[in-house]
Amino acid sequence: MTGHYCDFKNADVILTCGSNNLENHPVSSKWVQRALDKGATWIVVDPRFTRTAAQADIYCPIRSGTDIAFYGGLINYIIENDLWQHEYVLNYTNASYLINPDYNFDVSTGLFSGWDPTTKKYDTTTWGYQTESESTWDTSSTGTYSWVSQEGVPEFTPPTLKTPKKDPTLEDPNCVWQIMKNHYSRYTIDKVCEVCGMDPDTLELVYKTYASTGDPAKSGTILYALGQTQHHYGSENTRIMCMVQLLLGNAGMAGGGVNALRGEPNVQGATDMAMMVYDLPGYLHWPTVASTPTLRAWCEHETYSDGYYTNKPKFMVSFLKEWFGDNATVGNDYGYDWLPKVPKNGDDYTTIGTFELMNKDIMKGYFAWGQNPAASDPNTSFNRRAMAHLDWLVVADWTETATATFWKAPDMDASQINTEVYFLPAALIYEKSGTILNSGRWLQWRQKAVEPVDQAKPDYEMCDLLYRAIADLYRKEGGKCSEQILNTKWDYYVDGKIDPRPVSWALNGYNVEGTDFSKGKVSLLNGFANLKADGSTANGIWIYGGYYNNSDAPLDPAQQPVGRRGHDDPGNLGLYPKWAFSWPANRRIIYNRASADLRGQPWNEDKMLVKWDGSKWVTNDVPDFAANKTNADGTTEPIPPNNKAFFMKWEQNANLMTTGMKDAPLPEFYEPFESPVKNTLNGSQNSPMIKYAENESVKKGDASQYPIVATTYSITEHWQTGAQTRMCPALDEIAPQQFIEMSEELAAEKGIKNNDDVRVFNNRGSVKVKALVTKRIRPFTINGQTVHQIGMIHHWDWTNMFSTGDVVNDLTPNVGDPNSYIPEYKAFLVDVEKA
Amino acid sequence: MTEQAILFDSSRCSGCKACQVACKTWNSLPSPLEKNSQEWNGSLQCPPDLGSNTRLIITFNEGDNGKKYGVNWAFGRRSCMHCTNAACVNVCPSGCLYHDEYGMVTYDAEKCIGCQYCRSACPFDVPRHKGSDDILGGSVVINKCTGCPDRVAHGRKPACVTTCQPGALDFGDRDDMIAIAEERVALLHKKGFDKARVYGKDEMDGCHVIYVLKYGIEQYELPENPKIMGSVNASSKVMKPLTALGFVAVIAGLAVCYISGIGYHRDTMRYDEKKHDVIDVDTGEVIKHIDKEAGER
Repeated sequence: MTGHYCDFKNADVILTCGSNNLENHPVSSKWVQRALDKGATWIVVDPRFTRTAAQADIYCPIRSGTDIAFYGGLINYIIENDLWQHEYVLNYTNASYLINPDYNFDVSTGLFSGWDPTTKKYDTTTWGYQTESESTWDTSSTGTYSWVSQEGVPEFTPPTLKTPKKDPTLEDPNCVWQIMKNHYSRYTIDKVCEVCGMDPDTLELVYKTYASTGDPAKSGTILYALGQTQHHYGSENTRIMCMVQLLLGNAGMAGGGVNALRGEPNVQGATDMAMMVYDLPGYLHWPTVASTPTLRAWCEHETYSDGYYTNKPKFMVSFLKEWFGDNATVGNDYGYDWLPKVPKNGDDYTTIGTFELMNKDIMKGYFAWGQNPAASDPNTSFNRRAMAHLDWLVVADWTETATATFWKAPDMDASQINTEVYFLPAALIYEKSGTILNSGRWLQWRQKAVEPVDQAKPDYEMCDLLYRAIADLYRKEGGKCSEQILNTKWDYYVDGKIDPRPVSWALNGYNVEGTDFSKGKVSLLNGFANLKADGSTANGIWIYGGYYNNSDAPLDPAQQPVGRRGHDDPGNLGLYPKWAFSWPANRRIIYNRASADLRGQPWNEDKMLVKWDGSKWVTNDVPDFAANKTNADGTTEPIPPNNKAFFMKWEQNANLMTTGMKDAPLPEFYEPFESPVKNTLNGSQNSPMIKYAENESVKKGDASQYPIVATTYSITEHWQTGAQTRMCPALDEIAPQQFIEMSEELAAEKGIKNNDDVRVFNNRGSVKVKALVTKRIRPFTINGQTVHQIGMIHHWDWTNMFSTGDVVNDLTPNVGDPNSYIPEYKAFLVDVEKA
Repeated sequence: MTEQAILFDSSRCSGCKACQVACKTWNSLPSPLEKNSQEWNGSLQCPPDLGSNTRLIITFNEGDNGKKYGVNWAFGRRSCMHCTNAACVNVCPSGCLYHDEYGMVTYDAEKCIGCQYCRSACPFDVPRHKGSDDILGGSVVINKCTGCPDRVAHGRKPACVTTCQPGALDFGDRDDMIAIAEERVALLHKKGFDKARVYGKDEMDGCHVIYVLKYGIEQYELPENPKIMGSVNASSKVMKPLTALGFVAVIAGLAVCYISGIGYHRDTMRYDEKKHDVIDVDTGEVIKHIDKEAGER
């Protein structure tokens, strides 16, 4: 989230689209209700009339997978009706920037300029800016970037700042504004209704209501979750929401923002910690063979020419110092070469690709740590068969999951499987101490409540045992790449036992001098602003800098920012700055500079986050911009307001159009991989960059065989694959069986009655579930034809003590997004019959 | 201690059923343990009704909203209403059921004689009995919402209230709860929910559970003008003094009640599971057909 849960109460309009926030993020309901109590309007856009929709002021149906059409139409509506926030858009976004004149989007082919049909990738050059002037960094001893020349800093050529050409009148046909306006002019209300399947009156009411937050004093928030992201263009879905929020001036406002409701209690933490092939902790990029094979190349490739990411070498060197400790020196590029590099076929190592590698007998061993791919990944029946190729499988989990027992699945023949499966019982969250990180980026310390049962261990203890055993083997027997293992710093012990507190020191960052973990001595850094690129500081994840920074009590989390429990609420905005710690830098609302106008005056005094009083910044939240500068003599002085409201971008302006995505500079609508209709907005049925669609395992189905759109979702009663919740009789009792939701019309067509057993099937699989026939789902009229949609919950498999069922993900397609590699669970084709 | 009440605001309820789970957990009420033993009834309303181990359920009812999309989806709460003029207390022959100092209807299970008069007397059909479905003939003991006196006495709210995330449940001075409910209903009227109303303020001389109903009462499985049956009042007049005379008199009194047909009317009705009809045993007449497909219980 760019905001946090409590901030929902500050919204004037709440748009729930792609999430079922009351059901699946129950705590959100508390804050949404507070907004409603203050007179806010709540819109829910969803294929199903959910329990969330039941509480909303406005409900609007939408066919699964058509969000870009919906939001594209909203952008068009905002522009056509002049509802955008002029001063904000003009100054804080790249609307006025001039784009390369060779940029083009061809509606007939659905392709942007730069498409290479051989590699099936875009060259994004033509999506970039025209350059006004170029300037280089001043790295002299008195220059802004003097740190680059200091001893110990790895050598690299600093980037050149290419200041873009702009047209503040927004009239130049090559400016972002004109390109965007032209691009979305096709997304008329009638067109959107034709694609998404709602009626024009409802859609216009939604657009009108949400666009009312273009009033500078008002804020609108978008609550989304996997309904937006789990599409092969899920990242573009997210980006188009950002664009809407920028046009309406909602990003950075209290009660605004783009708010991803994370499901797993620590999934935000997992994302921060780089659980993706190309990520390094803190949203830095992992070294790749192709573009960053050396530290010098990394610094040159990754460091931004302006804005806060000019500091990236500081983050990287500090990261390496933590990773390799004393073994990391300037002479050996701080051990950069020991880090494994992502190979050119890195995409093959993402979740979907992994199972293809198993199937080809390339990947022979697999750790499933706190995940359950045999039930939760797409096309699970293929995954299970692929897993049978493994030599060994290690599953660390709370319960015996489907993955741990993949060989017991009804469609598997255990006698033909030679995989050795190891199960490591994991401690429950209540059985270990450490941090939990919520969707609002709050790091909160949890104390252990009870000891783990039997042999169950916290994950960090399992890691420790594994690391020590592996390192021992390398020490004794040697082997390939032993250096990277043996040079790793691994000293997170208290009284000889692995402990999350020294890990916290590492994640917060510390001065190398004055620190010796083995003696329990640490000189913690105040925050990430103290990080250096000369090897004098170490830090495991720069964004967490400051969360555990009290060197006087390094072993007492209660005396650290992460353990704070203060209730102060400056501005009465629910910011609670003394409750726990919010990364980055305890900022509660990211981009908060944009909550004030160009002169630093809040768009709305009642929602004041930061304010320029004529000589200094007055703040309720930690400024997310350069509010002060430090002079050479160490004194600080305030920086008067300017237009640099988004200083994490090199332009320091937000991007309505971008070169940062692989698949499009402006989100464009494509149909889901499996769709019952043709794309009528452009000539490409699917996104040209869809991932894994060519794989044999996918077994694409078409509408002639499988005419019904299906989507998967969770219900509030159960959690994910149900491995934990189906172990709780009280939860099983309130939702004992798997069902699908279908309309009365479809049920009548198929001769199905409520509570009947039904079979849902496609080329990938077939499952038997119960039917819940309801008026809450209605058929859509798409391009003039009737399209039925069903919703499937996915909490069951063959395992567990109290209830079992078929695996719904046997039906979902293993195709994905080229930016995030997320699978397309939320829109695919099936047929249904009475079982 | 002033009179307390639980407030349930159906217009804030998200139907998550966490209250049901909290109730079971706090009160150590078991759920079925046999694998795949539970039937699903084609609704999110699970279990479908109160039971010997279920003191609280959230009801789900989909009403027509007169619009192109969606329904009037009513999330109701079905549990003890903690009446002031409580039929169950009145009818209880053993003095098991009584009002506690907060006005909630609680009981001393040790005193329950398993007669189940309370269930048939209750205009809301709330009390259930453990052991009543036990073929081994274990002792039959009342089980219903007590208002969590073991929590309230320590300054905590009932378990269901504490767990409620959307703030649909609250607990406090009855007058305050009524004031909040009335304010909420006024707001709902303003938002166009014409049938919104407070329930429990005057019913049964005042309940200690106050409901804000967002839609019409017909969507909440609640009786309009609930009343104590005349016979219950009569029986209580017979039973109470007799109870004071002791066990033998109670048995005698029960015999009188049984013979005179006072009190336990429930057994005179039968449920046909195939046809989903409620049938009067004496006359064979179908009293009510339960439309399962429409989500009715």
